[in-house]
Amino acid sequence: MSRLSGHGSSITVATLSAAFGVALLQVTGFLGALVSQDPAAGRSGSTLPLMLSILALVFIAISIYVGAIVTANTFSTIVAGRARTIALLRLIGDSAASQRRAIAREGLLVGIIGAALGVVIGTGFAIALDRVAVATDTIPDIDYSAGWLNPAVLIPLVAVVLTTWAASWIGSRRVLTVTPLQAIGGAQEAGREELVRRPARTVVAIVLFALGTGILLLGVAVGLVSPFGVLIGIFGGILSFSGLIAGAHLVMPPALRVVGRLFGSAPTARLAAENALRYPERSSRTTIGVVIGVTLITMFGVAIASFSDMIHAAQSASPEVYAGTDTVLTAIQAVFSVLVGFSALIAAVGLVNNLSLCVVQRTRELGLLRALGFSVRQLRTMITVESAQLTATAVLVGLVLGAFYGWCGAQSLLGSINGSPGIIVPDIPWVLLGVIVVAAAALTWVASLAPARRATRVAPVTALAVD
Amino acid sequence: MEITTTDMGLVARVQNLTKSYGRAAGEVVALRDVTLGIRRGEFTAIMGPSGSGKSTLMHIMAGLDSPTGGRVWLGDAEMGAMGDSQLTLLRRRRVGFVFQSFNLVPTLDVAGNILLPFELDGRRPTDQEQAWIAQLQQALGLESRLRHRPHELSGGQQQRVAIARALATRPELVFADEPTGNLDSRTGREVLGLLSTASREYGQSIAMVTHDPVAASYADRILFLADGIVVDDRPRQSAEEISRTMLAMESAA
Repeated sequence: MSRLSGHGSSITVATLSAAFGVALLQVTGFLGALVSQDPAAGRSGSTLPLMLSILALVFIAISIYVGAIVTANTFSTIVAGRARTIALLRLIGDSAASQRRAIAREGLLVGIIGAALGVVIGTGFAIALDRVAVATDTIPDIDYSAGWLNPAVLIPLVAVVLTTWAASWIGSRRVLTVTPLQAIGGAQEAGREELVRRPARTVVAIVLFALGTGILLLGVAVGLVSPFGVLIGIFGGILSFSGLIAGAHLVMPPALRVVGRLFGSAPTARLAAENALRYPERSSRTTIGVVIGVTLITMFGVAIASFSDMIHAAQSASPEVYAGTDTVLTAIQAVFSVLVGFSALIAAVGLVNNLSLCVVQRTRELGLLRALGFSVRQLRTMITVESAQLTATAVLVGLVLGAFYGWCGAQSLLGSINGSPGIIVPDIPWVLLGVIVVAAAALTWVASLAPARRATRVAPVTALAVD
Repeated sequence: MEITTTDMGLVARVQNLTKSYGRAAGEVVALRDVTLGIRRGEFTAIMGPSGSGKSTLMHIMAGLDSPTGGRVWLGDAEMGAMGDSQLTLLRRRRVGFVFQSFNLVPTLDVAGNILLPFELDGRRPTDQEQAWIAQLQQALGLESRLRHRPHELSGGQQQRVAIARALATRPELVFADEPTGNLDSRTGREVLGLLSTASREYGQSIAMVTHDPVAASYADRILFLADGIVVDDRPRQSAEEISRTMLAMESAA
């Protein structure tokens, strides 16, 4: 199917989102079936599965949202790469709108394929997990079919198809800017993509962020007297984080610039730093997915670490109330990290893919660098630094945001408990931090692998080719 | 003892050079047994219709492509024996390029583009080189544009930057591939004037590939290529004479 060439990573992303959603709901269903079988939990038996489902849907929404950002980004990069073909079709009389519709149809197809693969993989995973758990006597062998026939699995599937479709439509906006002249014009490279001024979006982003942060801090203050501060805090946190995501085009380019300077002033590093900023919108979207993942992981990590600090402080005051909370907290942190980490994985797929596509589109420029005397090694270093700059920026921003939100969460929930020390310094879970940094380094390496190999295969002669 | 390229007063030469693409039935021969030399300090034009092999010849002489048969020298160094990293260093230090289009690194400003060959070597230009670069920038009228990026410049200005970059390292030989191909005729004449000045006043050896008789008329010497062989070798000629030679080649073919 030639129509789907170049969509491999979008299909992967849609499949991952769908499989994650299906598996999570299936497992939630199993747990529900398990709980309703258990007479001891009889009374809470109806509310627990419901709460689990709601929690599962929140995580699914996060991962589908990140997946949609990644897909929109991939489509806009693909369209940029096809500009010449699109221009040629425009030249012989095709309309921009019909071109865009054709690309959106590809998006719909990608979503359907991803959902279909996802339901198979997700269900397979859930059933395997169930069999393993039964075989190891972790859970009793009862009839779980009520669990995996959970009609709620349709929700993530439909959501994946629709968001992929919508993302391809949004990502293909660039088609409208391709002119027929581009098919015959000289190979003059278009100017750098300037940041599109979007006053409305900028205002919305700033208002959301300011308002949200205000409410969040209010939540922290209220938390000093009542645990209900956390409800105010959650509301504020969601608002302010949404503001940040909407304002990614304001936040990420400066952050990328600062991080880019840290790599030194060698020509390879400088070129890499400039390349990462050449398409600021694209870089913002590429990195924001990773930012979301890292922020959420760090947030839970810091919240739980700060949480246990406060509990410990309170514990020394009244030990008998808080027995056994430590292990529970560790378990919660592990589960949340894995669930949130999944959206980070989807974002990582997007980052790898984007870097690859960008390198493909720069073939002539890479040829020019080779002709001017860039060695293969310098070229490889340049690509690696580009990748490192993107991941390092995303991780740094995510860590800072996550630490702040996590601290707010712990503070607003527990500021008022018995024996609480009042305002505390956020506790940074260093092990978790180390894991994130190592994962980011691995991501950098993986992301640069394929594009670097492709870049070094570019013959210097390509720069001289007229077409 | 073999006579070296330098002894012959040449900056580059090829001997019995052959280049073909594809295999057996589909084989296309771009160059057939070509032997020629580019004289030191001269502005040489390599003329020929499309498909004459002139671009292939330039690519091979510049170390961008490898020959099927024959030998290639830049200065006294034979390029056939060089690996990719040696060819990279050769391009970086000993030759300069001016292309038809997409000459400049879009993410670097004018000054960055001119200094790129030095930075690739991991060094700063010496005082002497600094003075030379400043002189070039002035001569090419780039002083007020050093902080501009390529997309903020006109085609002619971009080509001036490319010339400044090509001359900055004082390479043994500058290769120019249809340097006026994307320019209007007035800007094109300016660029050609600059190349010929560089050769006359600074003794810069230049090899320019073109199919435009007007462009070739700026050169000290014109080599005519057709169907992969050198068919004529003339001193400076007017555009009319060059056109006549080209037309004669067409009708002879």
